[in-house]
Amino acid sequence: MAESSDQRGGGRQLFCRVITPEEVIYDGEANLIIARIADGNLGVLVDHSPLVSSVEVGEVRIRENDEQHVYATSDGFFKVSENLVQVLVEEAVSAEDIDVEAAENRVEEAERELSEVSEEAEDRDRVVAEIERRQRMGENLVAVARKYRES
Amino acid sequence: MASARDFQRQINTVKNQARVFSALQTVSSVKFRKAEARVKRARPYAENVEQMMRDVAGSASGDLPLLTGREIRRIAVCTLTADRGLAGGFNAQVLRRTVRLRDEKDSDALQVASGRKAVAFFRFRRVELAEVFTGFTDNPTYEKAREIGRTLTHLFDEEEADEVYLVYNRFESALNQRPVVKRLLPVAKEEGEEEESGTSYMEYVPDAETVLKRLVPRYVETMVWQALLEGAAGEHGARMTAMKNATDNANDLVRDLTLQMNKARQAQITQEILEIVGGAEALSAG
Repeated sequence: MAESSDQRGGGRQLFCRVITPEEVIYDGEANLIIARIADGNLGVLVDHSPLVSSVEVGEVRIRENDEQHVYATSDGFFKVSENLVQVLVEEAVSAEDIDVEAAENRVEEAERELSEVSEEAEDRDRVVAEIERRQRMGENLVAVARKYRES
Repeated sequence: MASARDFQRQINTVKNQARVFSALQTVSSVKFRKAEARVKRARPYAENVEQMMRDVAGSASGDLPLLTGREIRRIAVCTLTADRGLAGGFNAQVLRRTVRLRDEKDSDALQVASGRKAVAFFRFRRVELAEVFTGFTDNPTYEKAREIGRTLTHLFDEEEADEVYLVYNRFESALNQRPVVKRLLPVAKEEGEEEESGTSYMEYVPDAETVLKRLVPRYVETMVWQALLEGAAGEHGARMTAMKNATDNANDLVRDLTLQMNKARQAQITQEILEIVGGAEALSAG
């Protein structure tokens, strides 16, 4: 399982993989990968030094020659090692595939749930954090879709 | 002795049963193929999260309980079974393994149950359940894995449990599911691995401890997720196998019963002929 035995990575070409719990969303060559990690936006070019960090809810951009792939992602983890960039996130949706209406519903539903959480609930903090997480991702989906579709 | 008609009735019953078993087998095999494909698709994520966990654990300094553990007063065991039965020994073997673990480690362990079969089993044995999750085992979502994972991490964080174990069926093939016990927390550095994992240089942003604290809950979720997916594939596989056996048995039974029915019919015909012949002889003699 070591990176060096992986067919990807290890060479002079940068590769990127976006992986979610359900499946591998992107797996291919890249020239530049931009993501928001723990301390701000990070752009990764070929031969970047090894790095592990978390990624925030937001977008991951992958430039491959003249093409740009944009994914709206939930939070997760980011790893650069031997010219292989791995983005491990719970959810990643290509900007073109975002269902804006569903995302808006998600935000509304989260808002409604937030208003219904009882004040006395024992695990209130956990429940609220959970709903807010869904809300943030919904808002992110909407934002990414708006940003990249109109241009 | 049963008459040919009685046998016919039995044969019809068994034939109907065979049809039901065979239909269940078909349904299970379709679901099995889907679940198996899902396990395979999901593997890269789990492998990478696990790898990252090992790397980070190797680099993090300091005595974090999540990493190195603390004195063990109580453990928590999370058992994953299916919601439904008719799957051979699938559920029973995980439950047996759980009971053994509890006997060995801590008979007072906090028990978390996922799957109706596990819930029913522990309720019947009057084992108090710390948390219950049901209704999704044949087609789990990541959302559920997160719920379970968060619950387990929470038990550890709140010091209600000092070790957390997961007991589930590891999926090997449709014929073979093996119950396994995996310790989720603390995330121990695996023996002998400690030195070699730290060899290559890796920068952690902002630092290894921060990444670790965020990664651990995700790691627990991911392990639960993988176990749920494997459980779903195993459940369908085991049911498919169990239903195939049931279909085969029913067909064997039909063959046996048909044989017996024919014998009974033969006997009846012979009997009737004998009666006619006997009657004719009696008449001609008279």
